[in-house]
Amino acid sequence: MTSPAGDVPRRDALVQMYHVSKSYLPGTFALRDVTLEVHKGEFVFLTGPSGAGKTTLLKLLFAAEQPSEGQIVLRGRNIARLRDSAIPGLRRRIGVVFQDFKLLTRRSVEDNVAIALEVLGRHPREIRRRTFGLLKQVGLQHRRHHLPLSLSGGEQQRIALARALAGEPELLLADEPTGNLDPDLTLEIMDLIAHASARGTTVIVATHDHSLVERYGRRTLHLEGGRVKEDAAAAGPRR
Amino acid sequence: MSRLAADLRYFTRTSLSGLRTSTVTSVVSATTIGVALVLVGAFVLLLRNMEGLLDTFGDDLRVTAYLEDALEPSAHSALADRVSTIEGVQEVEVVSKEEALRRFQEGVGRTTGLLAALEENPLPASLEISLNDARRTPEGLRVVVEALDGLPGVADLAYGQEWVEGYARVVGLVRGVALGVGCVLALATLLIVANTIRLAVYARRDELEILSLVGASRPFIATPFLVEGAIQGALGGVLAVTVLYVLFRLALPEIEAGLTVLLGFAEPRFLDFRSVLSLIGAGAALGLVGSAVAVIQGLRK
Repeated sequence: MTSPAGDVPRRDALVQMYHVSKSYLPGTFALRDVTLEVHKGEFVFLTGPSGAGKTTLLKLLFAAEQPSEGQIVLRGRNIARLRDSAIPGLRRRIGVVFQDFKLLTRRSVEDNVAIALEVLGRHPREIRRRTFGLLKQVGLQHRRHHLPLSLSGGEQQRIALARALAGEPELLLADEPTGNLDPDLTLEIMDLIAHASARGTTVIVATHDHSLVERYGRRTLHLEGGRVKEDAAAAGPRR
Repeated sequence: MSRLAADLRYFTRTSLSGLRTSTVTSVVSATTIGVALVLVGAFVLLLRNMEGLLDTFGDDLRVTAYLEDALEPSAHSALADRVSTIEGVQEVEVVSKEEALRRFQEGVGRTTGLLAALEENPLPASLEISLNDARRTPEGLRVVVEALDGLPGVADLAYGQEWVEGYARVVGLVRGVALGVGCVLALATLLIVANTIRLAVYARRDELEILSLVGASRPFIATPFLVEGAIQGALGGVLAVTVLYVLFRLALPEIEAGLTVLLGFAEPRFLDFRSVLSLIGAGAALGLVGSAVAVIQGLRK
């Protein structure tokens, strides 16, 4: 076993991948023999060029794909061969943010955040209260009755982030969350993500923006050709 | 508030919001179901009126029991009373020899000298026996005829067995054709509706994906779409009934003369309340099944 943490899983490991490979076409690999651990509360950047396997790795973690080989353990549970009926339960504990926001364009900003709580079957009063709190946290409480498409890209990503954090997930996955945003909005979104991490949420952010990696100085897993080429420990934020 | 109540609240709110925000696709789906149901409904309407016509023929079904000349006219009523107690007999009318002659004369015309040449009335007295609705079938008729056969005072029975069997065959044929055409229409309608709703759901596939990403179960994702489909279908049913009623009322004065020839003197009838409800219910069911097919396809990765 080539786990950076050694053969004995650490007690606080949240994500463990053992020799995971993913192949979409015979003979080609999107991920190849990836073994890694992410600990509770950790903030990890996934870097690498396009096609390196960053998105595939995230998809395996929220069960949008199944690995061709290997095992994935999330909080002690093997999710490599999850039954379809068990996927919703897994996703309710994971928040996901995408480059293209993935918002319900026909529903209000408020509805977009509330949906994550409605899925959990929360009381309507609690949903209203918590949705307002989350929108306030991302500075959009005054836009809650608007439709997402009437907002800027940065604002839309803030809605997506509020939705991802609504269920207080233990793991937040972000796939190029700032890929469509200008530098100022990029920092705004990354600061919100760092804030969630500071409150204990484990975060994995896929990005090809090296300036972010340098700025935040967190642990960085560099992927190339579907393999982990480098696992750089956190260097601390750049001042 | 329980989980169920919270979910019901979500389903209602989301379905109504879906109908409101996807007005065009909702109208297209409802109209498609409506048009399909106009076809089915027109067929049901036609069938209903044809069955009315067949019922009219059925009303004419009767058995004639010719009485022996030796039987005293005073005994005719007693025999009629006895016959009317036979199961399946609805009504018994006594036709005396004189009445039979009068009817015959009416039938052939008074100018004929044929009867004048006869010294006495050759026509027998008879009992005209009409049957209950349930007995207006070849089998029902046979049971009544067997009960009549051999009754003292009855000389002969006439009941148009061949005609009755022909009538039953026509009824069977019409019902068979109705069932066949109905099945084909229902299948075609289901395919058209499922396809229309599939396109509507496809236009909202992003919703399916997003709901799935936030951990919604399949029933949670599908239910608002099913409710929407059922509402659209029911509205399509209401549209179909309205169109059929307007067409029925508009067309009636134009074709009434022709209908009288075709339907005899049966009054053209619109769908009864139960059929109207069935049509609307069929619309709702079509919308529901169409949505279910579309959403199941949409949820497959």
